[in-house]
Amino acid sequence: MSNSLSQSLAAPGGMLRRSAIERASIWIGDRGTLIAGIALSVFVLGFSLVGGLLYHASPYAVHGHHALQPPSAAFPFGTDQIGRNELARLISGGYATLIVSIPAAILTFMLGIVYGLAAALGPSWFDKVLMRLLDAILALPTLVVLIFFAALVPLNDFSLVVLLGVTSWPGLARLVRNEAIAQRGRDFVLATRQFGGGTWYVARVHILRVMAPILVVNATFLIGDSVLALSALSFLGLGVQPPHTSWGGLLQTGLNLIALNPWWMILPSGAMIFLAIMAANLLGQGLLARFGAAR
Amino acid sequence: MSAVLTLDNLSVALKRGRGKPVPILDDVNLTVAAGEMTALVGESGSGKTVASLGIIRLLPRGAKIAGRVQLGDTDLTRLNDAEMRRVRGRDIGMVFQNPLSALNPTTRVGNQIAEVYRLHTGESDRAARARALDLLGEVGIPNPADRLDDYPHQFSGGMRQRVMIAMALACSPKLLIADEPTTGLDLLVARQILALLTRLRREHRMGVLFITHDLSIVEEHADQVHVLYAGRSVEWGRARDFFDQPRHPYSQALLGAIPRLGQTRLTSIQGNLPDPETRPPGCRFAPRCAFREAACETAYPAPDTTGGTVFACRRGREITQADTLDAVTESPPPRARTVDGTALKVDRLAVDYERTATSFLRGIVGRKDRLRALEDISFTLKHGECLGIVGQSGSGKSTLGRAVLQMIPYHGGVVFEGESFGAMKHRRRRLARRRIQVVFQDPRESLNPRMRIGDIVAEPLKLSGISGQRKRWTQAAALLDRVGLSERMLPMFPGSLSGGQAQRIAIARALATNPGIIVLDEPTSSLDVSTQALLLNLLKDLACQDGLSYMLISHDIAAVSYMADKVAVLNGGRLVEFGPAGDVLAHPRNDYTKELIAASPHFRPRAAQGGRGGADEMPVYATRTAQHETAQTKEYNP
Repeated sequence: MSNSLSQSLAAPGGMLRRSAIERASIWIGDRGTLIAGIALSVFVLGFSLVGGLLYHASPYAVHGHHALQPPSAAFPFGTDQIGRNELARLISGGYATLIVSIPAAILTFMLGIVYGLAAALGPSWFDKVLMRLLDAILALPTLVVLIFFAALVPLNDFSLVVLLGVTSWPGLARLVRNEAIAQRGRDFVLATRQFGGGTWYVARVHILRVMAPILVVNATFLIGDSVLALSALSFLGLGVQPPHTSWGGLLQTGLNLIALNPWWMILPSGAMIFLAIMAANLLGQGLLARFGAAR
Repeated sequence: MSAVLTLDNLSVALKRGRGKPVPILDDVNLTVAAGEMTALVGESGSGKTVASLGIIRLLPRGAKIAGRVQLGDTDLTRLNDAEMRRVRGRDIGMVFQNPLSALNPTTRVGNQIAEVYRLHTGESDRAARARALDLLGEVGIPNPADRLDDYPHQFSGGMRQRVMIAMALACSPKLLIADEPTTGLDLLVARQILALLTRLRREHRMGVLFITHDLSIVEEHADQVHVLYAGRSVEWGRARDFFDQPRHPYSQALLGAIPRLGQTRLTSIQGNLPDPETRPPGCRFAPRCAFREAACETAYPAPDTTGGTVFACRRGREITQADTLDAVTESPPPRARTVDGTALKVDRLAVDYERTATSFLRGIVGRKDRLRALEDISFTLKHGECLGIVGQSGSGKSTLGRAVLQMIPYHGGVVFEGESFGAMKHRRRRLARRRIQVVFQDPRESLNPRMRIGDIVAEPLKLSGISGQRKRWTQAAALLDRVGLSERMLPMFPGSLSGGQAQRIAIARALATNPGIIVLDEPTSSLDVSTQALLLNLLKDLACQDGLSYMLISHDIAAVSYMADKVAVLNGGRLVEFGPAGDVLAHPRNDYTKELIAASPHFRPRAAQGGRGGADEMPVYATRTAQHETAQTKEYNP
């Protein structure tokens, strides 16, 4: 008999006994992306939000004798063209970037969900109107709109949050709308309506709950987008205003002096923007892999 | 008899997640003879699909195969991938359950069939096209020359399955593997497909391995039957022997679970199929078997080959079908139904569907096309009665259910407990709607995967204004108890439930509002036969407890005959026959009703079933539905 196969599979310990290392590698195996995302997020957030408490140096103090110096013991990341401490500026720039980007992402998130659900669950004429309006908004290049409004309003943290928030929701709104339309005809929604569940109840309890994984994942991507958008604005001089700075602003200052090859002014800020977006994306991908299977 | 396919101790283990492979199929021995049909029967989880994929070596990565798969003179397990590719399609044809996903939607069916032929024979395009035309005619597609250049979506479900069969036949294979080819099709259409397979295998001396969960559908067509349970063969042999005298308690219970005329109680097998990881060491059916002995639980019984079918059961010689039915069938509950007062009155009901515009411009300016889905339906349903609604897909059965549920707009009157929905104010209407509940076909689809079972069952209570989760969950526990589930399930999520359990949850939820009527929309058609039996028994018991009325929508006449007091037959949106179940099913007057009943082999009493081998192909009746479908198809095809 060819029972050998089942026997070898049913051999003692075949299924259950694994070494600690084996178990750890299995545990990490499908969570690698998520863990990398969390680690990177902790680093980026820690650097920007807690860094200032650990590294006591003013980002504004001018050290005239040390202008445009490469990294040294006194100035680990060097100094800029008027002798300000680049590391201190990188930390305060990170703080300024995140304090705008994260609330802006949250605002985008809420606008997108409300708009998308309203379109999906309202009457069909309302959906048509909202979607054509959305097409019109999507047709405008976001950055150009941002620049236009940034030129009109005084720029501070609050106005930047609102600007970034109100210009970047259409993509999410469309996603939410399409997903909600797919969910609204499912049997469990029909059953709920039979019990007398209203539109608001269905949206809250059923549709949002089923969409939760997609929403969580997109929220992390929105943070990445928001960091990038603010950096782009700052790079154009329309973001965080001097003497404060942001990562985008630091990058711009460095690039303006490119002829002098101040690599210490360009690489760190560029790297932080890259890492922040990378952290958000890894987090999103990791969450997607974890939640995706359970849909 | 020359064997086309011989499985010699075929075992398959599949990798699940990251662990070691888990044995799914153990030591299956099976033959398919030339020109004969072997039915491989098993419930979901029995390993029957893994067996078919093992034969053609299309198992997922990491799978391990042991044993031999002998096709003619070659052992398929010894072939390399390139050689195996040539075998698939040329020597073995495959037909799958869902023809729509097996056919390429962007390619004309003629080209798809021709491609298979060209690939394996190297013939010219012209010859391949001629072959495709022949094949379409051979599988019974009317006007094959006109349909050759149609796309898959222009065919109905049954016709698509015929196209799949034509593709499988393209290279005149020695063996055809059909994996649940009739599941999801109407009984009428399913019977036509089976009759077609029977004709083809006889004409071409081709072996057919027919994989199904439904014993009743193969009763008239199979030469050999092979029953799998939890990855092991439990009984196999000539179909005549099997159906005359099944020996294994599992086969006996499975046959008893199929509703037949005049049956008062269906056999129900308690418990669940074991997971591949936790299969018992001895006889795998032992934990659920009413006749088990101590020895059954320690060692797998050696097959008994002394006569009739071969079966793997220590006591198979002594146990008769009648013993099994006595042992596992509880007596029916007292039929204390209160049949008084009208629960529902439907008066000249009609439903129109707006057809979606064919172009953007016509969507704006054009007159909206209306399609009458239901016309002039009138009937009454008393408290405690079960109305069975039967008809083919597209006959308007589900539409009728949805109109009664007030889910879609309709013309005419629906009067619930003396009050017309048309005359109700908004709030009153909402309360009345709550007392007409629904159980859908796909139990998983009807439960929110992200809600706990307690919250799902208690949702109607919450919407009725009962506050406090603890209080609601207490009531939910009582509801679970009524449908035979444990309150331990309350904090679980639906993902971990079996189909039958999920459907019980859906029933418990429907009971929460203390409804007067429950619309059961094909409640058991996605479930295994033994699970269906349990569920139908449960529904029957619930109706007996308090004057609950049912509208049972089903294409399965046998299930309807088991449940219903009255039967309504729908064809093309019209009520063609209505009356007491006994009268309508025993003495149908309408031709369409007669035809539906004739298509349910297991509905007929077993004794009256005459000789097997119903090889005569049934004519394709031009019902109203069929005509309508053709008309619609024409429009897409200028």
